Amino acid sequence: MPVVKVLTEGIGEANLRDINVYKERGGYKQLERAVRTLTPNDVLEICDKSGLRGRGGAGFPTGRKWSFLPANNPMRYLVCNCDEAEPGTFKDHMLLEEAPHLVLEGILIGAYGIGCHHAYIYIRGEFKRGYQIFMEAVEEARKAGYIGKNLFGTGYDLELTVHRGAGAYICGEETALLNSLEGKRGEPRLKPPFPAIAGLYGMPTVVNNVETLAYLVPILEKGAAWFASVGTERSKGYKIVSVSGHVQKPGNYEMPIGTPVREIIEIAGGLRPGRKLMAIQPGGGSSACIFEEHLDLPYDYESMQKAGSMLGSGAFCVMDDTTDFVKAAFNLVRFFAHESCGQCTPCREGGHWLETVLHRFVAGRGLQSDLDMLRKVSNQITGINLCALGDSIEPFLASVLNRFPEQFEARVIKEEVLPA
Amino acid sequence: LLERLKPRCEEIIAQYEVKRSALLPLIHLFQQHEGFASPEAMRAVADMLDLTPAVVESTVSFYTLFFRKPVGKYVLQVCRGLACQLNGAEDIQAYFREKLGIGHLETTPDGMFSYEEVECLAACDRATCMQVNLEFFYDLTPQVIDQMLDAMRAGTFTVAPMAQTETPASTWIVKQDTQVSQGTKSLGAVDQPNPNNAGGLDKDGVIMLDRIVTQEQRFRGRTKERLANVEPSIAAIYANGQEGSH
Repeated sequence: MPVVKVLTEGIGEANLRDINVYKERGGYKQLERAVRTLTPNDVLEICDKSGLRGRGGAGFPTGRKWSFLPANNPMRYLVCNCDEAEPGTFKDHMLLEEAPHLVLEGILIGAYGIGCHHAYIYIRGEFKRGYQIFMEAVEEARKAGYIGKNLFGTGYDLELTVHRGAGAYICGEETALLNSLEGKRGEPRLKPPFPAIAGLYGMPTVVNNVETLAYLVPILEKGAAWFASVGTERSKGYKIVSVSGHVQKPGNYEMPIGTPVREIIEIAGGLRPGRKLMAIQPGGGSSACIFEEHLDLPYDYESMQKAGSMLGSGAFCVMDDTTDFVKAAFNLVRFFAHESCGQCTPCREGGHWLETVLHRFVAGRGLQSDLDMLRKVSNQITGINLCALGDSIEPFLASVLNRFPEQFEARVIKEEVLPA
Repeated sequence: LLERLKPRCEEIIAQYEVKRSALLPLIHLFQQHEGFASPEAMRAVADMLDLTPAVVESTVSFYTLFFRKPVGKYVLQVCRGLACQLNGAEDIQAYFREKLGIGHLETTPDGMFSYEEVECLAACDRATCMQVNLEFFYDLTPQVIDQMLDAMRAGTFTVAPMAQTETPASTWIVKQDTQVSQGTKSLGAVDQPNPNNAGGLDKDGVIMLDRIVTQEQRFRGRTKERLANVEPSIAAIYANGQEGSH
């Protein structure tokens, strides 16, 4: 079984919320080493060579993202994205609560790597407990001299602000997050300009996921080659996979990227006895389903894409033969309709109408014409919005409608029973 | 209250390079003390940040964790995400609705509980889950729920009640709100048929417009008549001469 403990090391065994415990286990050594002996460029190079890709969903190479910052502007910000709200994802929630110092060290190393002097972390509003735990960690670290002026006597200043959201999925989108951080409505911005050019307060900004930044710590400790030695050709390193749904032991499992899908289900305790696998949603609410025939695929960015889905944030939701896919599709469409910020018409209206139509199916009163419409409508919502939320409404629906049309057809009402 | 919170507000504002960034944390602070984001609080925040009250309210209205009307002492937010649904969240929701006698986005008449079904709370490994005043509770069963509600009523619950400075109404949702999440945008209000929500839902969850389309032959004629034929309540509106105003 390829379960590994890199970020998850010590979670559940030691009280990693305590800075002394964390330091005894080698904590903050990499930050000190980076600030004392490495230049920001060295950190960037290590990050680049490790092949680390963004763990928030898009999977963009982290080193490349950093390198887009314009060299001639010394003003820049690092923002850590902890607005985890993708349905089925719960890894950042765990890291924030169980290993706050690891997250913090990752942010500080990242901030040094891009050469910024003020870093921000945006924590989802619902994570009140996580916010309190993280604030305590920040206070401890500040007292210990890891945040503030003149770190380790090198003259490098670094400030950190912890910002709490207030309930909006869309704020996980990086430009919406920046707007929310600026005290505005969390509406995504038109891109370009990308945040690397004009982000927070109009300055060059890097937005990275919690897990991405946390991996900087073991990468610095063990070297880029160590991280790049696991995984597949283009997807390197480890990943925390949040397994949920119809498995016996749902939870966060850390493993090399490229672990076969079948093994991930086994790691999570397998299906309930006597049940048959129907579908897996491998990358959070935004992703299309994969099925039995994909069980032997490696779980990496490329294979998931080839199978018509995506790895996304690593939320791995398993559905067995008790699943009502009409209800499941309604659930996710309702989610996106609810969370649409309302700026772009296709997403705002399209999501809501899809929800209404699917609500009819759930009530057993679908119309035959709806079925054809559901099949056709997707390319009228996808690809024409400011952000990716509109594109996320339909992949799950399309994949289950294609695979289990009988479940939808069974809920079409016949002409004569139409209410008068 | 403003006097008392002023120093803390200034501390928060100082953490940011641009004042306006303090908007969310300041509203969080006021809500913590008042139980909701009151108009006075929003005005005070607007003053401190050199914004207009309208800008503050617009921003506040975007976020679902800010309440612009008073809520119950315990805000029960039950997860309706996919992983929870696969693990029986619908039964849990039905149990809450029955036990409390209220529905989604409503407050009990005694002002004790507010109930909301919320999107994925990121605790899918221990579905079904919920938050009480933003503290997590996992692996819900009817027994667990009964114990929780009893403890809240008895005042022995582990989570402190929210501050409550005003008596809550039956819902904290602001009616004229056009926020997407409240489903009131182009569809019109669900429970108030009028000629302009022909695209809305009727009580059976059927789009009224669709009825007309699918029964076109039976309902030829001018829009007004067609609508009146399909929905008796619309006929009543026409009869009373009160045309819808949305």
